[in-house]
Formats: sequence, structure tokens, C-alpha cells
Amino acid sequence: MTGSTASTPQRTTGGGGSPWYGRARDVGIRVGGLAIAILIVIIIFTALSKPNTFLTWLNAMVVLRYMSTIAIVALGLTLVIVVGEIDLSFGFMYGLAANLISVSWIMWGWPIWAAIILAFAAAALLGVVNAFLVTIVRIPSFIVTLGTGQLVFGLTLLVSATATLNPAYPPPGREVSRGEVDFFFGLANQALPLNIPMQGIWMVGVAIVVGLVLSRSLFGFRLKAIGGNPEAARLARLPVVKYKFVAFIVCAMLASLAAMLDFAFIGSTQPNLGQSLLFPVFAAVIIGGASLSGGRGTAIGTMSGALLLAIIQDGLALLSVGAYLQQFVQGSVTIAAVVLDRFTASLRR
Amino acid sequence: MTDDPAAVGGPAAAVDGPQAVHGDQTAVGLRIEGLRKWYGDTRALDGLDIVARPGEILGVAGPNGAGKSTLIKILAGETREDEGSIRLDGVAWDPYVDLDRVAVVHQEAQLFPNLTVAENLMVGREGTRALRRRLDEQERRLLDDLSILDVADRPLESVPLAVRQRTEIARALARSARVFLFDEPNSALTEEESTDLFRRMHDLAGAGHVVILVSHRLAELVEHTTRVAIILDGTCTTVLEGEALTQDAIAAELVVGQAAREPREQITVHLGEPAADDAAVLTLREWSHARGHFQGIDLHVRAGEIVALMGVEGSGARELVRSVAGFERTSGHIEIQGRIEAPATTATGDSSFVSADRQASLFSNLTVGDNMVARLDDEIAPRGALRPGRMRRIANELRDRFRVKAASIAVPIRSLSGGNQQKVAIAAAIVKRPEVLVLEEPTRGVDIGSKSEIYRLMRQYAAEGHAVLIYCTEVPEAFEAADLVYVVSDGRLSPPVLVMTHPDVESLARAITRLERHTRTQPAA
Repeated sequence: MTGSTASTPQRTTGGGGSPWYGRARDVGIRVGGLAIAILIVIIIFTALSKPNTFLTWLNAMVVLRYMSTIAIVALGLTLVIVVGEIDLSFGFMYGLAANLISVSWIMWGWPIWAAIILAFAAAALLGVVNAFLVTIVRIPSFIVTLGTGQLVFGLTLLVSATATLNPAYPPPGREVSRGEVDFFFGLANQALPLNIPMQGIWMVGVAIVVGLVLSRSLFGFRLKAIGGNPEAARLARLPVVKYKFVAFIVCAMLASLAAMLDFAFIGSTQPNLGQSLLFPVFAAVIIGGASLSGGRGTAIGTMSGALLLAIIQDGLALLSVGAYLQQFVQGSVTIAAVVLDRFTASLRR
Repeated sequence: MTDDPAAVGGPAAAVDGPQAVHGDQTAVGLRIEGLRKWYGDTRALDGLDIVARPGEILGVAGPNGAGKSTLIKILAGETREDEGSIRLDGVAWDPYVDLDRVAVVHQEAQLFPNLTVAENLMVGREGTRALRRRLDEQERRLLDDLSILDVADRPLESVPLAVRQRTEIARALARSARVFLFDEPNSALTEEESTDLFRRMHDLAGAGHVVILVSHRLAELVEHTTRVAIILDGTCTTVLEGEALTQDAIAAELVVGQAAREPREQITVHLGEPAADDAAVLTLREWSHARGHFQGIDLHVRAGEIVALMGVEGSGARELVRSVAGFERTSGHIEIQGRIEAPATTATGDSSFVSADRQASLFSNLTVGDNMVARLDDEIAPRGALRPGRMRRIANELRDRFRVKAASIAVPIRSLSGGNQQKVAIAAAIVKRPEVLVLEEPTRGVDIGSKSEIYRLMRQYAAEGHAVLIYCTEVPEAFEAADLVYVVSDGRLSPPVLVMTHPDVESLARAITRLERHTRTQPAA
């Protein structure tokens, strides 16, 4: 995205005699590129699914649920990407969080609230470790999180003893109170009007917060500055280290949130959870227009990326396409979406 | 401004006479006609005509934002013109495609920081064979001539800027290109190195190459070029040569482009003995660098005072200035407005720093306006929530006050010329209202119009009761901007020179040279 990065589309600063090709058109084309991609994918799936099971309200809600897991994690990753770093450990964090909750709750007999706190505390700790190694020890975040991700996965295997757990059917000798199960499952399984999935609501809440932070807060403004030029940020005395800590911590905690909600929806955990998230989450952030070199990224972009990927997942599942082809299509569409986006970006000049 | 080359020497030209006209236009050399380039609705070039003949050095001068950088980018093949023709020796030439014919020495080195000096010289010229590992004889000689052979195996990112720029020059010289474009090539070179470089440029011209020198330094242009083309608002308004080519004439031509430029303000600051302790905004005592770049420095800077530290690369002057802003490891005592700062380390809000390297002072992903307010907090975001209206208001005020030439504060910072970018960088530091403003080479690569504006704003900021500390490499800058000059050599500070006691730059330069020698030869205390 070199050369044509005019400004992030939703930034509201500037103006002052905005030229005719200015902001409105900017936003129009930016959203346009992704919107076109999403539209094309919808049309293709609608045409392919006979009888039409794709373009229905019920299926839209399924897509919304698929999307929310990707989006919640991706919104956290967006913060890390914007500040100019990379996090590869979020998928493993997702797995650890889900298993920590189930193990401490079911096997160790902790109350559910303590189990949840434990998961989020572990996430915060991982964020701190990641950020510490990146900012203080000064190891590139790619390497740091590659390592911590593996470490976290190892922890998950240790903690879970590779068992699959379901609180509704605890293993012999363990008991889980009915009330706690109802409360926990209720986090993601409330009956809402129009079959709206509970996780969609959570996602919208997270998206609003991250969106406001990125576009309307001093924190988001400085996050972009730091990601755009860390050296200039240091010389201008912006709190580079502190902000990177926050970004890594939030990223890990949002991965835990998504894990908790998925656990609550699905009802069980197993040790290898979350590993398939790496691709869709990264793809959502990049399709959403965030720059891997830092300084650029929006909540709305990441959400659109997550939506596109969720539609593809859902559509392929509806068409009963084999798993192999799914990967192939996801990869192709991701590249196509980014190419389309670069093309529309060049139109923006 | 007229954009008709035939009209040059007519109404727009201050210097008349036959010399001012382009002269005979043979097919040899570089001929540029009617060059136009827009960036969005910003017009960078508006029908530019220039002829550069082989055997001469053509000077190009113009204020920042006049279109010089765009011209250079087009000739360097980095961007393409929207309209116009470029002919080289009578044949149409598209630098965007045919890159081998041109060598460009940029004002900010555009090299590979991860490669060594030698590898930078070789990269792109390895030929089709496997990567050569050794320099050939000619390349060794080239590096030797620029006295960088001994650092040939050091990674470029670990050598000082001066060496980086010399590497860039070596790279250009090593290419047998037809057109040699020098874009402020010597802004980081010493006097001797510059002289050496100019000798080389004359050699290149003598060998029949097309040599173009873009420079802000009037003396250089007069001394080394055959003709000087003045660029204003995207067109070449006049070409000075022969008798008409004087510093005053160039300055007069450039000033035509400066709307309503004020007469230089008188220095109103108090003069006298070096500051006493009690009046000092900034006090350093026994101030030493952790790695020995300077030792035992005592320095006071009073409110309203601009103090310049001068010294060659490696003297410790640059590190001393950076240390005051908290960006070097130090020991000793530092006080700002009577408050003792955290010893030896860093960062308080009491000083603001602008690096000499523009890539380390601006956020290229942000707009002009956002760059201006990037250091602010409560002013733009009470309780952490951004107020776009305030940001716009502050940025617009700064744009007007600093006369930043930008279509709007919403344009990307990279769309501005170098001098205007520098104004934005300094504006961003000043708006934070630090007690001590610390500037490293505040006008590197900046045209004279922007220079005097930057000096005016520095003086104004000092006059409001703040201390300004600058590192500069050029005596004229110290003469124009500073009240007191200290020379740093071997990490020690000379006695101060009172700028007002010197009637002209030459006199100040002599005093500084004397002090430099004296401080260097003095045994360590």
C-alpha cells in the first residue's frame, strides 16, 4: 500500500477545503472494493445453492455467528498490527483460554467466575510476556509470538491432559452445578428475537469499542502514529512501550473472550481448539486494509474482512464442498480480495 | 509567472541581457520542454522548460514546493510526467523506463542500510554472473578517493550520515551514466569533502556529461555552475549566467516567489556575558556521555536565548544536543527551569526534540494536520476522546503561522516538499510549548525562504521566554539563527562566541575555526 495511503478512511481530522476527490469518495471506494467482493461471493453462492438455502435469514444468522468469532479475535489483532507488530499466538491463546475455563471449572471444581477470571488473567499475562519480549528485550514480535504461541499450546496440552470436556456431562467423580452451566451456556445461547445469535451482539459491542478507540480516541491516534514511524514516535516522546503492552494484552484478551463465547455456544472444549483461527483472522485484518508495516487499520475494515471469510466458510459448508477445496477457495478469495482492494486503492489517487 | 521559455529575460526576469536567454539550442544535451505534473489537484510542475548542455554544470534553484523535487523524481525515473517531452542528445528519453542513463545523488541517501558500503556500491551492477564478492580496482579507488575505503565492510546503517552520503556519491560515480543529477549532495559533507566533490563534478562535465546541481547554497551555485535555472511555482522563470550570475541575483529571483516576505527581524535578545546560573532555563553540570562522546560539560542557556553548538561529525556536538533532549545515555546534572531532571537518562516533557533526519521526525502515514498535532494530548483530546475540530483549528493555525505550503492540512505529509515537511516537524515540536526546544540541524536541505522563516519562528519562540538549543554544521546558520555559539571538539566545549560581535559570516567563521583548533589542542582538564 505504499504511495497511495492517503489516510485511513474513517479518520475525521483534516478537511479544510476538501477537494472534490476527497474524503467521501475515498471512503466510497475503500468500502466499495470490499463490498464488491462480498457481493460477488454472495451472488455466486446464491446461484450455486439449489434449492436456495444460502440467501435466507436463518443462514445469514449462521454467518453472523461464524463471523463473530473471527471478528472478535481479528479486532484485537488489528490493534497489534496498527502499532506495527505481529501476533501469531492468539490462536493458541484461544485454545488455552477455553481449556483453562473447562479444566479449572470441571476438573478442579472452581466456581465458574473464578475459571473465567483465570482465563483472562492468563491472557493478560501472555500479552505482558509478548510485549515485554518485544519492547524491552527487543526481539521481533514475529519470533516472540511464534515462540510464545507454541509455549501456550504446550501449556494447553498439559492443563487439559488432552481430554475433551463438557460441563453438561462431567467425567465420573466430578460435579458441575446446573445453575453454573445454565449461566455459562447463557453467555452465548440466549434466545433472541429473529434468531440473532448472542455472539453477534458481543461482536458488535467489541467492534464499537475498538472502532471508537481507533478512530476517535487519543489512544488510537497515537497507536497509528507509533505504528507508522516508531522512531519518530520515540523522539516525540509518545508512550511507545506502554501502547505496545496494551495492544498485545488486548489482543490476547479478545482471543480469550472469543474462546469463552465459543465454548459457551458449543458446550465442550478440546486441546487443539483455535489453531484453525490463524488464517481467517489474519486474512480478515489484511483484507480489511490494515497495513502489515503498521500505522493503518480500521475496525470497519476488519469486520468486513471477517464477514467475507465467514460467508465463504458458510457457503462452502452449505454446498458440502470437501475440506480440501475449502482451504483452496479461502486462500484464493483472500488473495483476490486484497488484489481488488489494491486496485481500488490505486483508483483513489 | 510565465511558462513560455521565449519570454524568459522579458517581464519576469530581474536580470536582462542576452546571457539570460537559453542561448543556442542544439540537439546535444538534455532538453526538457513543457513538463507538467499534478498530484491530485496540486500542480507540481506547470510547463517547465530547461536545457542542460554537456560540458557545463547547470544549477537549479528554487524554494521548497516550487517543483524541484518533482523534476528530480521525474529525471530519476521515480515518477512520470503528465505532459511534456524529455530529449537526450536529440532522442526522446523516458527516464521511467531507461534508468541506466541517469545517476542521482539524493539529499537523503536512498541506499540499502542492511548491506555494507561496498555491497551498496556493487548492488544492481553485479551483471548477470553470480554475485561478485570483491570490489574491483576501480571501485576501490573510488571509495578511497571519497575516503570511505576503510569502512567498506561496515553495514551502512552503522556508519554516520556523512559516510552514507558519500556512498551514495560513489554509487553515482561508479555508474557510467550520461546525466548526473546532484540533489543537495554535500549537505552532510565537510568543507574539504565538498571541494573534492565539486572537483569531480567539474571533471564529469569536462568529460562531456550532463551535470545538474540542485542546491540551496547560493555561494556554491555561483562558484561552480555555468548557469542557474530558477524554478518558481512549477516553471523555470529565468536562467542566470555570466555576469548576471551572482548570489544577490539568485536571492532576488527566489524572493520574487516569496509572497510578502518580511524584512529580517532584528535580534531583540539581550546580550552580554554568558548566562549566570540563576537566569538559566537549562543548566548542565558535569554532564558526560556514557560512551565518552563528551565529558564534563557545563552549559547554561537562558530564556530568550538561541544557543548553537557546532562541531564536526564525531566531535560530540550532535550527541550533546541529543542528550539534552534525553536521547543519549549520560551522567551528571541537568536542570530545566530549576527542576532537576531524572539524572542520566531520559525524557521529560520539558524539552522537545526534532531530529535532523526527517524520516525520524514525521509520520508518513498521517496527514499534514495530524503530524502537526501528533505530540499533543489534552489539547486535542480532553479525557482521551479526540476532538477533530480542535485538531483542525490548531493545525490550520500552525500552517498559517509557519507558512506551510500545502493545499490543505488533510493532504498526506509525503506530498509536501522537504522544506515544508521540516516546517511541519518543527511546528509539531513548538506547539507542545517546551521550556527547551532542541533542534538538530534545523534547516538541513531547506531553501533560503523557508530557512529564514524557520529562524524567525525559532527567534520568536525564544523571545517568548524559552531556551532554544540547536546543533548546526554551517556557520551561516549559526550567524543567522544563534545568539551564542559554542564549538565542541573532542567532546569538550569551547568558550562561547557572541554572534552579535561579528559583523559578517566570515568573521564568525574565523572565530569558530580558531576556537575549534584551540579547544582541540588544549589538554584535557
